[in-house]
Amino acid sequence: MTMRWKTLAAAAIGLAVALPAAAQQQPRNQITIMREIDSDRYDPHRTTALAGGEVLTMLSDTLVSMDFDMRTIRPGLAERWEVSPDGKTYTFHLRRDVTFCDGKPLTAEDVVYSINRWIGRTTPRVTSPVAWRAGNVKEVRAVDPYTVEYELNEPFGELLSQLTQFFGSIVDRATVERLGDNFGVQGFNGTGPYCWASWTPRSELVLTRHPTYRWGPPVLQNQGPAHVERVVWRVIPEAAARVAALQAGQADVAQYIPEAFWDALRRVPTIRTSTQENYFWDVFMGFKVDKPVVSDVAIRRAAHMAVDRVGLARAVWSGHALPARNIVNPNALDYDAQSDAMVPNYDPAAARRLLDEAGWRMGSDGVRVKDGQRATFLMYAINNLANQRAAEIIQQGLRQVGIEMRVQMFDATVAWGRLATQEFDAYILSYPYISATDALSLYWHSRNRPSPNRMNWNDPETDAWLEEARRGVTPEARAQATANIQRRLAEQAPWLTLARNQLAVFSTQRVEGARAHGLYGIGIYRGLDLRVVR
Amino acid sequence: MSATVAAPRRPSALRMMLRDTGAAVSLVFVVLIVLAAIFAPFLAPKDPYETDLMAIMQPPSAEYWFGTDGQGRDLFARTLYGLQVTLFMGLASLIVGGVIGAVVGFLAAYYRRLDGLLMRLMDILLSFPAILFGLALAAIFGPGLTSVIFALSIATIPLMARIVRGAAVVVMGLDYIEAARAIGMKDARLILRHLAPNCLSPIFVFATLRLGQVILLGSALSFLGLGAQPPVAELGAMASQGRNFLFIAPHISVIPSVAIFLVVLAFNVLGDALRDALDPRLRI
Amino acid sequence: MARYALRRVLLAVPVLLGVLLIGFFLMQVVPTDPAVIRAGPQATQEVVDAIREELGLNRPLWAQFGFYLWRLLQGDLGVSIINNMAVTQELSDTIGPTLELMFASLFWSIPLGIGLGTLAAYWRGSMIDRCIMAVSVGGVSVPVFFLGLLLIWLVGFQWQLLPFTGRGGPLWTWDGIQAVILPAVTLGGVFVGPVARMTRTAVVDMLTADHVRTARAKGLSEFLVVLRHALRNALIPVITLIGLQIGFLLGGAVVTETIFSWPGVGRLAVGAILSSDFPMAQGTIIVLSAGFILINLGVDLLYAVLDPRVRLS
Repeated sequence: MTMRWKTLAAAAIGLAVALPAAAQQQPRNQITIMREIDSDRYDPHRTTALAGGEVLTMLSDTLVSMDFDMRTIRPGLAERWEVSPDGKTYTFHLRRDVTFCDGKPLTAEDVVYSINRWIGRTTPRVTSPVAWRAGNVKEVRAVDPYTVEYELNEPFGELLSQLTQFFGSIVDRATVERLGDNFGVQGFNGTGPYCWASWTPRSELVLTRHPTYRWGPPVLQNQGPAHVERVVWRVIPEAAARVAALQAGQADVAQYIPEAFWDALRRVPTIRTSTQENYFWDVFMGFKVDKPVVSDVAIRRAAHMAVDRVGLARAVWSGHALPARNIVNPNALDYDAQSDAMVPNYDPAAARRLLDEAGWRMGSDGVRVKDGQRATFLMYAINNLANQRAAEIIQQGLRQVGIEMRVQMFDATVAWGRLATQEFDAYILSYPYISATDALSLYWHSRNRPSPNRMNWNDPETDAWLEEARRGVTPEARAQATANIQRRLAEQAPWLTLARNQLAVFSTQRVEGARAHGLYGIGIYRGLDLRVVR
Repeated sequence: MSATVAAPRRPSALRMMLRDTGAAVSLVFVVLIVLAAIFAPFLAPKDPYETDLMAIMQPPSAEYWFGTDGQGRDLFARTLYGLQVTLFMGLASLIVGGVIGAVVGFLAAYYRRLDGLLMRLMDILLSFPAILFGLALAAIFGPGLTSVIFALSIATIPLMARIVRGAAVVVMGLDYIEAARAIGMKDARLILRHLAPNCLSPIFVFATLRLGQVILLGSALSFLGLGAQPPVAELGAMASQGRNFLFIAPHISVIPSVAIFLVVLAFNVLGDALRDALDPRLRI
Repeated sequence: MARYALRRVLLAVPVLLGVLLIGFFLMQVVPTDPAVIRAGPQATQEVVDAIREELGLNRPLWAQFGFYLWRLLQGDLGVSIINNMAVTQELSDTIGPTLELMFASLFWSIPLGIGLGTLAAYWRGSMIDRCIMAVSVGGVSVPVFFLGLLLIWLVGFQWQLLPFTGRGGPLWTWDGIQAVILPAVTLGGVFVGPVARMTRTAVVDMLTADHVRTARAKGLSEFLVVLRHALRNALIPVITLIGLQIGFLLGGAVVTETIFSWPGVGRLAVGAILSSDFPMAQGTIIVLSAGFILINLGVDLLYAVLDPRVRLS
């Protein structure tokens, strides 16, 4: 990445902007947000895709909301709440002025129904892959039309954070039952700042303003109704096309801009950028610890030493990702600095030494062998540009130390199924989290095998620490428990954190209020502050 | 008629063709790229798969003649290897489809009873554009180089069968075939010894022109993600990966695209010249 | 004439059946059970069994094929695995944009190609002829995606003259026209070359025909001879040949739709195949093939109407 091409790119973009734009004007008071892919559906209890979440956060509300610091919980549909001394019962007091898009007022029954639907306790039963995020629920009940009691079987320190996520969106029971399988496909009815207008899958989704909306989360400047009348979510699969469309003013907001374009775009005077420091979205490679070759901790540690994470961040993410070591982001709650130092650093020579000592002898084809077993493993990943490029670089790095990595990539729609199997030895994925406890309990509890615990990590001590952390009796105890896990994982190296992504939301001068939030990777939270200024 | 006349005049056909500057340049170019593809491992200054994280998206320079791609791989080396893969894809499908098509064509011309059936079958195959075979095979067997080669082979069969049948039927009408038949020559021997050699020039012309088309189609399928999969260096796939950086480092997709263009152009010019030289009727 | 038409239509029937058989076959070899697909990820075993019964999946293969044809006749191509949308619905949404793009491409490329071909025939052997033929060989050799990427880079990005991110609206609106220009130039651009070549060959052939000689003997200027007699008579075979090149255009359309995010059948097909959405892939392949076969059939019949010699052969 020399100065020369940077200058060239900047010059090219500058030139492009200087010329009169012949772009078609958008209707007044409409904002177009661009993205790369569409969701399969817009049902908060069935989809976990970011492409679904970013729209659902505009269509619906949650009991509580998350501030931009990614730690502080603020009111949402619940204006206040109490937690019982044993940490098992949460009482939410709902606002009384909330209505759905169809005009029906929101009551405690809707909240109970939605939470039950999330955790698979309604008929017909839907199965949310992330039901565990709701905690170990005993019962959710409506005490009166505006009070909800949320009772757990055991304390769950993270409940409120989890309830800010779009999985906990409150939906209208009548609409769900009327649309059945087509809920979130042919229509939607939520309490959000925007209402469902139309959807052309893989092309365009149109939302219109919810005119009576007044209950926006206090973290935003505007509590409602939304400034803009229409929000159009447009799918533009080509990255280059998104960049150009933003410059030409054919669309207003985009978070899916490849990092390679960031520097150049930031120099364009007509484009605003909003970034978020407290953004926790990591790309990692996990190893199945019970499969041949990768079951050897020497191989896993050598892999850590063979992959240049600094170079990787520079190459694949153009320097707009933080090179990573430990499993948890240093800005996240309960990050353990000591385990950071325990993760093997990039050092190919040391990797070769380690493998030699472990008995892996170099074979004639450049791949090491031990007891007749070649040092080769199969890696699965979702087929996207970043993964492709990262995989090719990792493959090369491993080859330098005598380990062969075979790569198989799948389109996103197929990949999740394949990633739930035991066919592969390692895999690359990326995921969002809100804290150390959140990150660790997703992947490392033995109960979560084979997916999302695709490492097949089965360690009673880890399980015990996790349960301690989840109960979160005192902050200190929780920090200690999560630190123990982080150290164990640093030692055993079943997980190679490749990079920590950054979030940037780009918008044109026409639009104000496109502030990057980043909860679960969602760039624009609720979209209430979006405003057309020109 | 033309076929038999052309056969003894083949040396002069080559000379005639070379009188055309474009054709001569194309011939030299085709020979060069074939050599470059064959000797890619010796010619490439670097490993086409080696990533250099300090040299990403470099523009062409003295060190990197064609620049580097998004993973810091040498594009010159990748283009050479890409030529190899792309030409292999083209030749493999041409040979598979061409041989099957030629056999069908000869059988149809020689055994008149089979003619109707075989040619109707070929008509059915001709009813599908090649891109649909590509889509269908990628859907059934999954995207990959093999799917593309099979798709292009199938699309080539009916075309070759028609060409061969057309030429063979003319030769079949000639006296010496009748004579050979009369003295009891075996069918297989007759086809191989007399029929086939006299149909060579149209086959040759067709193959040259078809190779260009096949390469164009195959690289388009790879560009769509239905063909060669990364990190394999295939020109269409390389152009596809590079288009993500079109506005920052256009050379990454432009160079492989230009390479495909030049290769296909060379085969097309060469094929046209061959046709003009071997089939004087088409010359005006 | 009627007999020819009948024969031609009868020939198209096995081809169409072949297409459907391939589509049916596609659904047989895929690793996923169609009943499970249709039932959706939440379904219980009873639901799957009921659907299995409804689709006739427990019957012999030939009976299943019958079932399949019957459902097809009712316009039922199944539902997408990805988003549960009816395949026929998505197809009817995307077929319009594809036809629109093809129309916009042919709208300029055919007249230009015929014009260039006629000029080349008129000045045959001259420098102009060679130049035109060189350009047309170049046009045949250029990868569609290369042309598209160049236009995006220069016209769309550097000069910011035209949009290149999908459809702008119906063709009769200003936005619609603006948005279609670059894709249509891309797709039409690779079509000018073949049309010019075919026109040149047909016109030159025609110049040796008797009535053209007569016209020339009457002392008409060469230009008028070419235009009035040769080109007019050559148009029928040229249009036919163009009709037969629709397959070539289709290949280009798939690529063009993909790079310009054009919401057509081609892009839908590629997306469906890449995401292993088998019902959708099957639907797009059937529609594209059937469309292609019907266009060929139409062109053949039209040719027969226009040129009596064909009927006799």
